[in-house]
Formats: sequence, C-alpha cells, structure tokens
Amino acid sequence: MLFFSYFKDLVGREVTVELKNDLAIRGTLHSVDQYLNIKLENTRVVDQDKYPHMLSVRNCFIRGSVVRYVQLPSDGVDVELLHDATRREARGS
Amino acid sequence: MATGLRSVTERAGDGSGRPVFDGDNGEELMHVQPGVSIVLGNRSPESPGTLYISTKQVVWLSDADRAKGYAVDFVSVSLHAVSRDPEAYPSPCIYSQIETGAEDDDSDGSDSEGDDSLNLSKISEMRLVPSDPNQLETLFGIFCECAELNPDPIEEEEGEHNWVFSADQLEDEAPEDDDSEWAVPRNSIGVNGNHDLANSVVQLQINDQRFEDAEEMEQDDKNGHN
Repeated sequence: MLFFSYFKDLVGREVTVELKNDLAIRGTLHSVDQYLNIKLENTRVVDQDKYPHMLSVRNCFIRGSVVRYVQLPSDGVDVELLHDATRREARGS
Repeated sequence: MATGLRSVTERAGDGSGRPVFDGDNGEELMHVQPGVSIVLGNRSPESPGTLYISTKQVVWLSDADRAKGYAVDFVSVSLHAVSRDPEAYPSPCIYSQIETGAEDDDSDGSDSEGDDSLNLSKISEMRLVPSDPNQLETLFGIFCECAELNPDPIEEEEGEHNWVFSADQLEDEAPEDDDSEWAVPRNSIGVNGNHDLANSVVQLQINDQRFEDAEEMEQDDKNGHN
C-alpha cells in the first residue's frame, strides 16, 4: 500500500504517466486507488506521433497495470522518506 | 477472458436483444446507453447501436444488424477518457485504448472494406459516440467504476519476496552466533540436492592445521629448539 499512500499525497500535482505501450500522458493527478489506477485531469499527450488522435482530453482514467513509470515533480519526492518506507515495507512483508 | 476486442454475434434469447452475460459468475449489467455509434481504430463510425456496460465488459450491439456486435473486457481497457477536442475527433466521445497484447500497433485493422478483412484483435483504439453528448460524463464514470471492479488477477507468490535493497539489509538478516569464530552463514550456502556444502566447509576448517588451537600443537620452547 506504500505507493498508494504516496500517490495520494501527490494529488493535485502535475505528473507524467508513461504507459507500457510507450505513450506518455501529462496531467494533474486527480486520484489514485489501491490498484494504482490513475485519474488525470487536463491531460495532454506528450508525444503526439504515436497516438495523434488522443491529443487533449479533459479527464482520463489509466489502468494501473499498464503504467510503466510515473514521472513526479522533483519537489514531490522525499528520497530519504521513500527509502526508509520501502525498506520497512520490504522487511515487514 | 480474451484480450482485446472481439466480435459478438449472439444475443439473449429472451427477445430483449441484449447481450448474453454470465450471471452465474456474478456478471451484472450496469448501464444501457442507446444511440451510441462505435468507431474502431481508423474506421468509419458504425451506427446505430446500443451500448451495454456490465461489471466485466463493454458490449456494443448494432441496432440494424442483429448479428453484429463488439465486446471488450475491462481488463483489456488500458485507458479511457472523455474526448471533446474537435481536432482529435469531430464529435465528443469516450476515447479508449485497448490492450491487444501485440507489439506492433501499426496494423489496427483499419480496412473498412468489411468485417471479413477486419482483425478485431488488433484494434487498439475505440471511440464511443453517444448521440447525446451530455451522457459522456456519466459514461466516463461508469467506465471508471467498472475498471476498478476488474483489477488484474494477482498470482500469489509463495513465501517472502527475497528482494535485496542494500548491503545493510544483508547484515541485518544474518545474525551470527557470538561463539563461532567463523562466519558460517546461517542459511547454508548452496544446500542443494545431496551436497551438504555447509558441512563440507566446516570440515575443511578442521582439517587445516593452521587453524588448530595453539595448545594442541607441539610447542617448542620459545627460546629455541629442543
């Protein structure tokens, strides 16, 4: 549940979601759920060559299982905190 | 469950014209939206039709051709969105991407000459265009709900995750006996089949004279030979 909690804290921030099919979508993080499904607002496609039809959509729901990366604002990342949290989670599981 | 878009030719025998759902396995109809046209890939819109959204899948059935319909499971819907940008598509619609399981997205079956040459399993983009654009937010919301109902099935791993994050973790996980001088690992190295390598290692130590206690060795006087 670590990243679920982590992403909840990032709601309202701009993120770029890169999918496993190489599509990259930028938008405001609206919400996230336990499966790391992501809802973005004011989305726009970063690379328009691959999926030109998509362009800009107001709201977007991305299935958690197709996400490859989530690019975060650098001031949204507390590396020490994340490091400790992931180690605790790894030991606890 | 099949990945990707598939053809639906069967309808319920009760005369309702609805798709057949798997009620025994808990599949329920969530929403019916008449007056929806469907756009597969780069093809022309197909209409008129009715959209049936169940807890497991999205089904579009043609109103005109009772043998024509398409369905996709929610587990295959990678993303969905409300598209209002006229540059993306002239009509407001629900835009969705379908996971085809194929690496090559170039061939999206965009041959509009007829279903015979259409490969549904390669369709990676689908638009649903309601005749009433005010229904888009409702449709988007129902897609979200149903997507949340269909997470990927998790294969439970047996035992603990043996992830190593840092050298520190290794130190913490291998507490030594204070008595032993030798760092024989608690988890035997390569106990594998009939080879008991841990004991082999211990034996090796015993046999090496250099490691025997000083008292056991024949001692000469420090000052010289006897």
